[in-house]
Amino acid sequence: MAKVKNWQINREMDYPYDENRPKKQWAIVFDLNKCIACQTCTLACKTTWTSGKGQEYMFWNNVETKPYGSYPLAWDVKVLERLGHQEWEKKKPYYGKTIFEAAESHERAAHFAPEDQDWMYPNHGEDDCAGQVNKGDYISLQHDKWFFYLPRTCAHCTYPACLAACPRKAIYKRQEDGVVLIDQSRCKGYGECVKACPYKKSMYNAHSRISEKCIGCYPFVEQGYQPRCVTNCIGKIRIMGFINPPWKSRGSNPVDYLVHKTGLALPYYPQLGLEPNIYYIPPIHADREYLTQMFGPNVDSAIETYRKLKDDPIAQGLLVLMGSTDRIIHDFNVKNGFAYAYDEKGDEIINVPVTEQIYSRPAFDEKYGTSRNNTP
Amino acid sequence: MKLNLFVSILILISFECNADIDVKKIAGDLSKDYKDETLWKMASPDQVINLMGQPMVAPKPKNTETSLINVTAVHDGKWIVFRMKWKDSEVSESEKLATFSDAVALQFPIKNNEVPPPIMMGGKDDPVHLFHWKYQYQVDAKKGKKTIDQIYPNMTADMYPMDFKQKGNFKEASKDQKESFVGGTAAGNPQSFPKSGVDEIFAEGFGSSAVSDSHLAQGYGEWNNGEWTAYIARPLIYENGSKLLIGKKSHVAFAVWQGGKKEIGAIKSLTMMWTPFNILEK
Repeated sequence: MAKVKNWQINREMDYPYDENRPKKQWAIVFDLNKCIACQTCTLACKTTWTSGKGQEYMFWNNVETKPYGSYPLAWDVKVLERLGHQEWEKKKPYYGKTIFEAAESHERAAHFAPEDQDWMYPNHGEDDCAGQVNKGDYISLQHDKWFFYLPRTCAHCTYPACLAACPRKAIYKRQEDGVVLIDQSRCKGYGECVKACPYKKSMYNAHSRISEKCIGCYPFVEQGYQPRCVTNCIGKIRIMGFINPPWKSRGSNPVDYLVHKTGLALPYYPQLGLEPNIYYIPPIHADREYLTQMFGPNVDSAIETYRKLKDDPIAQGLLVLMGSTDRIIHDFNVKNGFAYAYDEKGDEIINVPVTEQIYSRPAFDEKYGTSRNNTP
Repeated sequence: MKLNLFVSILILISFECNADIDVKKIAGDLSKDYKDETLWKMASPDQVINLMGQPMVAPKPKNTETSLINVTAVHDGKWIVFRMKWKDSEVSESEKLATFSDAVALQFPIKNNEVPPPIMMGGKDDPVHLFHWKYQYQVDAKKGKKTIDQIYPNMTADMYPMDFKQKGNFKEASKDQKESFVGGTAAGNPQSFPKSGVDEIFAEGFGSSAVSDSHLAQGYGEWNNGEWTAYIARPLIYENGSKLLIGKKSHVAFAVWQGGKKEIGAIKSLTMMWTPFNILEK
């Protein structure tokens, strides 16, 4: 095992291969306060990539209700159970074991193997709330009854467990964008990646008899466009870009700003040790202990920062840029009440007002002789 | 470093072999008929060969699921057939997700050096030639590759790309066009196409195996009362592969997978030593 630097757990850890960070790293940030589980992302992905034979059950992008939803069944509970009790003190590196460090001699990563039936209930637990809502209950903040939606794609991890586990070396991480792919010409369908990925984003195709996974919409990314699940998000909760490690962070990079500069967005289950590259702005009304388990000890400060967004015009500007363009935003700037997005060359892609202007118009339009309504 | 040392030791011990199998010559055409019981009465007695769970690289089996394999072989001057028997409590075919096929494989050195290559998949510049029979492949050859509808009869799909349930007034897409939406077939992965029974594979070390285009070898397996009897028939000479010479000693290695125990790929039981065999002139 090599020693590699994992900034998400703030220490060196064991990994079967040497550290080899790509030139650019694909990343998505999700604002979980806005996700309504409409599954438009899921369907955008489904119709683009997984409508073929053997892919019927596959959702490279899925949205599950937490705490009870999961696809495949209980993926998160099972991997945490496999890892066992681990501690992570605030403002300290994670000294517990990662799945690579907890692996037994017969495996590359501490894993579990989902069974056939585990994949068959993608809506399991949907809208199920933690705790029982009794007759006469009313809502008070903080909610003691809670749930939130968790949209998930492959995290195109810096240290992918699928890649580590593949005995054929058929899985590779692209230098140009950090996207992790299964070589469809080399895979033999052993299913080691399906077992090893703790997030369960490698899937076996019983028609082609090999494994497949989210490809990060790399054909779009190569053209400078964000993935389909991002551009189709009607809640505009997502932004895809390229994240730098913290020692190369740029404040004008949207993902760096949200993850490194403000700490608003956090990786999920960073303690597993994969340095996953999907990041979440945590839901502010969900159970804090549960969120800490999922997003690590920085969840309190992320929520505090989110609550103070009204005082941060830069972050406000960036959040309105989410969903405002299908192009990949490499840099952004906020000035004079407008947020500006720039492509890799520095050319402006779009500008949007940070606050929508309010227009007051008479109810009756004299010119057209008709009444107006409030439909925007 | 530790691994290299272990490999070196294995190379040394791998030269210490099991008892020889004498491969008698019989009259007939083994490329056509190799299952006839009367034919096997003329073969040398079975050699009992020890297997163990693959111990070298993860993923490894936790336990040795198949500890013994009984082997004998015959040849007809052009073809050689190995008959292998091992215990397996159930028949397993890979079809649904997370299911795996029963299988057996033979491995031969390609270079006829005095010291055979590293027993586990050969080594760099010292390749091996493998013949991999899988029950799944046999089902493919007999009944055709199962469709998704056969594997999951209650599954529903609105439509597949270029494959419409309602036949309209348009030109039907070709099979190739439809398969272009399947990653494995579009990429030409042999794994994604129907199989004839035996995969012929070349390898020169862990993770390097590549299925060849050749489909000369044949295989057949039958499961009875908790035991598999499987045959793998191959030509003695492959111009671009292993060459088994009459009157000479050659080496073979064995691996067995019990699909029902979730064995696949490197998770298998195998021989840790090469088994020598003599291809007799009579």
